[in-house]
Amino acid sequence: MQGKKIKNGGIESALGHFLKDEQHLVFGFEKGKDNVSHHVFKDSLDHYAPLNPVFSANGALYLRRIFAKGAQIVLMLRPCEIRAYVELVKLTQIEREDVIAVSVDCLGTISSKEKTGNAPTDVDPLREYFKDPEKMRWACRVCRERRGVVGDAGIRIDKNGSLWAIPYTGKGETFLSLLEGDAEAVPEDMFIVSSGKTEKFQVDMETFSKDFSKCIMCMNCRDMCPVCYCIDCVFKGDEYLPKGDALLNKIFRTGSVDIPQGKELFHLIRMFHVSQTCVGCGACEEACPQGIPLTQYFKGISERLQGMFGYMSGRSFEEPIPYVTFLEEELKDAED
Amino acid sequence: MAEEKIEKNPEIVGFACSYCTFKASEMAGSLRMKYPEGVKLIQVPCSSRVDPAFVIKAIFEGADGVFVAGCHPGDCHFIKGNYYTRRKIAALKEMFDAFSMKDKLRLFWVSAAEARRFVEKVTGMYNEIKEKKNAG
Repeated sequence: MQGKKIKNGGIESALGHFLKDEQHLVFGFEKGKDNVSHHVFKDSLDHYAPLNPVFSANGALYLRRIFAKGAQIVLMLRPCEIRAYVELVKLTQIEREDVIAVSVDCLGTISSKEKTGNAPTDVDPLREYFKDPEKMRWACRVCRERRGVVGDAGIRIDKNGSLWAIPYTGKGETFLSLLEGDAEAVPEDMFIVSSGKTEKFQVDMETFSKDFSKCIMCMNCRDMCPVCYCIDCVFKGDEYLPKGDALLNKIFRTGSVDIPQGKELFHLIRMFHVSQTCVGCGACEEACPQGIPLTQYFKGISERLQGMFGYMSGRSFEEPIPYVTFLEEELKDAED
Repeated sequence: MAEEKIEKNPEIVGFACSYCTFKASEMAGSLRMKYPEGVKLIQVPCSSRVDPAFVIKAIFEGADGVFVAGCHPGDCHFIKGNYYTRRKIAALKEMFDAFSMKDKLRLFWVSAAEARRFVEKVTGMYNEIKEKKNAG
């Protein structure tokens, strides 16, 4: 594979060069006083940080709003964010033409709920910092794809800590042409390798009910989910809960019942709805005020359901989402 | 006093495609074939109209089992609707399997002429669920 080795400050100068045009923007991370956050850069690239050790929200969430025709945007985000972007492109929520998506190798992140002040932002100190995987969020520890191999181009970190830019599509080549230097063969082994197979998720309803009994139905998990994009959500208002006659009927039929709050209903239905597009970024757990282990469930279910169709969310632009396509000869044992 | 065990009757919600399974159920009626009263059919224009959310909701509203029934693959009135059903319901089954409640959901292919098959399938499902319900 051909790519370019990035010199010190190479990304900054390349993006700075790109921003010279009036209509060009860069969506990436800005190093603030005590936090690193999502930022749109125009004109200048002050306090730009390629890596962000703190996960607060998935950047693809903002892309649904940020988009405007005519402006060229370069995304410099984590692989999970680019994967969510790819899924949203497939769901026709974002138009792909004016966006160059660059995924940057992710060394892992810590939760924004923890003390975030002392996490470093440079490659080498961050590698040292995450030597102990216990420091990472659970979602990152078990992440399937921390490599920058998705989107139009990727920025990879090799074993010595130097950065490489690798194009995957034509737009990736455009991005690469901004960088100085000549294309050369990319080293085979990188610092972050693809993670092995994950275990098959299995749970029983009692554990599930216990875990989700803390839920207060604030629906933050839905709102912060990058791929939960419906404007008219099934759970808008309270139409999904039995009321009036239906509620009375339920009580007379089944005896005394808890007032149905729809907690399990909400999470199970949402789990199915995002099953093929979930990227396992853990934004839902990050947003949950009750500390429910949402990632464990959503990631586990989505990996099982995607595995059925040999699909992986956000892997490529061409792979159709399994629920909108089919093969005539498949799933012979589906019928009972 | 000897406590007499009251037999519990399950309730089953079935989503039936109006072009085949629902026709089969009507035919079963006109042929005077019996299927359990606990089976409640909901007519849908095509089996792919069934959002898995309906199935999950039916179970949380108290149904003991849910089945989705449509035309045999390849025979859909809307050409390819039941291929989508097959993918969606198979995935939903996999999800139910992860939550250890796989036995609550079934998928049947019943064409409009197969009244007997419809009755057999539905009765079989009903009896299995009834057995489990009365055992526990």
